Amino acid sequence: MKSQTGLLFALPALIVLFMLIAYPVAYTGLLSVTDAKGNFSGLDNFAAVLKPKVTVQAFINTIYWVFGSIVFQVVLGTLTAILLNQSFFGRGALRAITLIPWVVPGIVAATTWAWMFHTEFGIINYMLTGTGVLQNPIGWLTNKDTVMPVLIAINVWKLFPFVAIMVLAGLQSIPNDLYEAARVDGATFWEEVWYIMLPSVRPVITAVTLLLVIWGLNSITIIYAITRGGPANKTLITPIQIFRSAFESFQFNQAAALSVIFFAVTIVVVFIYIKVLSAQPGEAK
Amino acid sequence: MTAPAMDVSAQPKMKKPGLGWPVILIGSILVIVVCLFPFVWMGLSSIKTLKELYSVPPIWWPAVPSLDNYYKVLFESNIPRYFLNSVIISVGSTGLALILAIFASYGFARFDFKGKAFWQAFVLVGQLLPTAAIIVPLFITLRVLGLVNTYWGLILVYMIVTLPLSVWMLTSYFKAIPVELEEAAIIDGASRMGVLFRITLPLSLPGLVAVIVYAFVTTWNEFIFALCFATDSSVKTLPIGLAEFSTEFNTDWGAVMAASVVMTLPIALLFLVFQKMFVGGLTAGATKG
Amino acid sequence: MKLTSAAAMLALTVSSLTLSTAAFAGEVVWWTPNWGEARAKELVEKFQAANPGITIKAEITVSDGLPQRVLTALQSGGAPDIIEVQHGWVNGYAQNGLIIPLDDTIQDKDDYTKAAIDYVTWDNQLWAIPYRMETRAVVFNKGDFTAVGLDPANPPQTWDQFVDAATKLSVNGKSGFAITGGGEMGNTITASLPYVWMAGGALISDDMTTATANSPETVKGVTFYTDFLKKGLSPASTLENDGTAARRLFIAGTVSSYLGGQFDIPSIKTENPAIDIGVFPIPHPEGVNTAGVLGGWSYVIPKDAKNPTDAKLFLQFLNTTENQGFFTDTFPVRVSSQALPRFDDPILSVFKSMLPYARPVPIHKNWVQITQAYFDGLQRIMLDEQTPQEAMDQANEEIQALLDS
Repeated sequence: MKSQTGLLFALPALIVLFMLIAYPVAYTGLLSVTDAKGNFSGLDNFAAVLKPKVTVQAFINTIYWVFGSIVFQVVLGTLTAILLNQSFFGRGALRAITLIPWVVPGIVAATTWAWMFHTEFGIINYMLTGTGVLQNPIGWLTNKDTVMPVLIAINVWKLFPFVAIMVLAGLQSIPNDLYEAARVDGATFWEEVWYIMLPSVRPVITAVTLLLVIWGLNSITIIYAITRGGPANKTLITPIQIFRSAFESFQFNQAAALSVIFFAVTIVVVFIYIKVLSAQPGEAK
Repeated sequence: MTAPAMDVSAQPKMKKPGLGWPVILIGSILVIVVCLFPFVWMGLSSIKTLKELYSVPPIWWPAVPSLDNYYKVLFESNIPRYFLNSVIISVGSTGLALILAIFASYGFARFDFKGKAFWQAFVLVGQLLPTAAIIVPLFITLRVLGLVNTYWGLILVYMIVTLPLSVWMLTSYFKAIPVELEEAAIIDGASRMGVLFRITLPLSLPGLVAVIVYAFVTTWNEFIFALCFATDSSVKTLPIGLAEFSTEFNTDWGAVMAASVVMTLPIALLFLVFQKMFVGGLTAGATKG
Repeated sequence: MKLTSAAAMLALTVSSLTLSTAAFAGEVVWWTPNWGEARAKELVEKFQAANPGITIKAEITVSDGLPQRVLTALQSGGAPDIIEVQHGWVNGYAQNGLIIPLDDTIQDKDDYTKAAIDYVTWDNQLWAIPYRMETRAVVFNKGDFTAVGLDPANPPQTWDQFVDAATKLSVNGKSGFAITGGGEMGNTITASLPYVWMAGGALISDDMTTATANSPETVKGVTFYTDFLKKGLSPASTLENDGTAARRLFIAGTVSSYLGGQFDIPSIKTENPAIDIGVFPIPHPEGVNTAGVLGGWSYVIPKDAKNPTDAKLFLQFLNTTENQGFFTDTFPVRVSSQALPRFDDPILSVFKSMLPYARPVPIHKNWVQITQAYFDGLQRIMLDEQTPQEAMDQANEEIQALLDS
């Protein structure tokens, strides 16, 4: 069916999105090549944001943050989904409980975690030292080696339920006869997971992963609420840098330039992703 | 890989294999502990007195549990009003996103057309620009449309946040449904719309539920757009209400925690009811139809 | 090429056709923070009774995200008529042409504390009306002092006495003096710059052309500050603490003193009434005056305000001696308002005595980034990554680049 019918279906959503983002996109593009007075300044803003060492450090931190988070979010989320797909007493309640980290408002979750990880007030250090696991309290958020892993763990906690629910929905859509065929062959549970469940939910996992990448690249709530990028820029990621230059330093033009670079990089990632996706068999019809 | 194992356990048995109960039990306990630990801490904090909130070393259970914070949140703050606003805005934007996304996803999942990859990427553009970059021009757009300080303003703005995900996830769920089912119906004389509403949608019910939950929760918790685009208390949402417990140099944490519990529990309970719809759909062997 | 101004013109034309946040004639929209809501309502009623033609619509703001919200409104032309902002933000708005000068609005300018007026003056014009000001002082636990044999009636005055007292207090798991090194950057800037100034240093030269962050004087001040952590006199959590966290540790009883403000006193009294609170001025090196960073709030009128005329009238009403003294959370900027009985409370006297030594920070367009470079340096020292000299050398280089750009 090579026609424009498909586009017709998509049109209402595309129009709404276009109406909302056309101006912001044009505005950002325009700001990135002008100075504060509105004069055309070529690539000056780009040069200015690429010069400081901190830009490179923020970029590396961003990659660390995004990939560190995603690996655990996807793996733990999928495992949880497989668990929630089993039938056992109390499954409904467990599904609802799984949703809680995701429903707790981000800023409150971040502050609560910061409070629990606090060197002195923190319940975590209290439990670890109380049970003898640790001799002395650890400065989870003040030690340069632990601060990023702790932030990643909080981010994983916040978003793995999302993966779990999305994958669970995919698992529930697998037709029964696929399982039945495997059971005739005497497949074990893990063989079912490997040969039936995972292949069936692969489109879901790929879509979820793409969205997690985009959010990871764009998420500032957790880090900003807990460390603001510190100590000494150990947890500074590019979106926080953009936020700082726009809203703390009034450098709207440089923030726009950084946004454009950021946009270019992510759009390339998205395109490669879509191309790879559409190359998979049995999807485009 | 696991293939050789096939031969070993090759006895014909139709019993549905599953995880053993020890694995289920341990897994469930792990999930409960991980998910609930901070939430329980929030709940405990909401019934403590101010002095007990921050003590060194921390204390688990307050000497005299107090519901004062809940009284404050429910009867002495703007939270109930903001709760209503949040319900209206979240339901509105989730509904709108769902309708738009169902059609768009169906178009992307079932048809091949010129520039499809481009349009699929276009859907994501709104999320690729950092919030810090789009918030000012977005405000200008809303002013031009006359939608600042209105429910519609936030409902529309949240399309930027919810539509990309809804479209992408629904597309992947639709793709997972065997095309043969639809083709059979079309041969029987059903229209495209008929196929979409009578076959594809019912079969992807779990996916629809997941997307609804996602869109609802995201808009329920959104802070920065709500802060900037809804300055009048007639449209402020719950996250702004949370911020109102803070003054310049102090935060009433007990009240914030109580309000967060008030914000979170109804959604989790709603999902407890909703999650039954995760079953159904295909498990009855619909592909035989 | 005036690309953005063309776009702005277009947006302006379109928006003037619609009546979005339609303020009808005689309405003044006032953004005021939630901590003063009750007092604001009272003033609005009084004003409306005296001026029947004008309606004041108070929209309540919150401190979370306030700078973003204000800047978004100012940048997009959807601003109210009056906004309350911190002194430190004014200068950025002024230099970017987002607010209007208020030289014609202020009355009895000579009655205003000069440091506050200087803070919001740029290019020889007054860009805001400062109405509230404060500075910090050291809040201490009198009981802890007595317990280690220090005289609470005779708190430390010089740096040497200060370190000595903090060392004596740091026993039995307590920390003598909590410095801050995390959370919102502004806290640590306010807490550490006074020592840099008292040591004779500064981050940038007076003519704002040269970075002086690695001068011997500046490094001396920085070293004095960070040594509280290095010598174990400040809690291990210093790098994650802001002013609020320091206060909470003080309330919890693990910290014997910290740099606080008068706004902290009521919290301490309600959350831990057992503590006998004392306050002393920030200690100084022998033979040098103390110093503090001036903080506080101002009123601004955005460039896009729909009703600046009535807004100015309302501002004059808000800033009579009586009303300014009534509305402020801390001290009023008008000297005549400071004489009101409300400010006679003895616990406030130390904070009041610090006011003459409070200084504004330099007015430079890149000031926030300059303090960020300095703050990163402080954190590197506290992380044990660099010595104070190395950290300030690097900060100096970054600050110089910001001055040159």
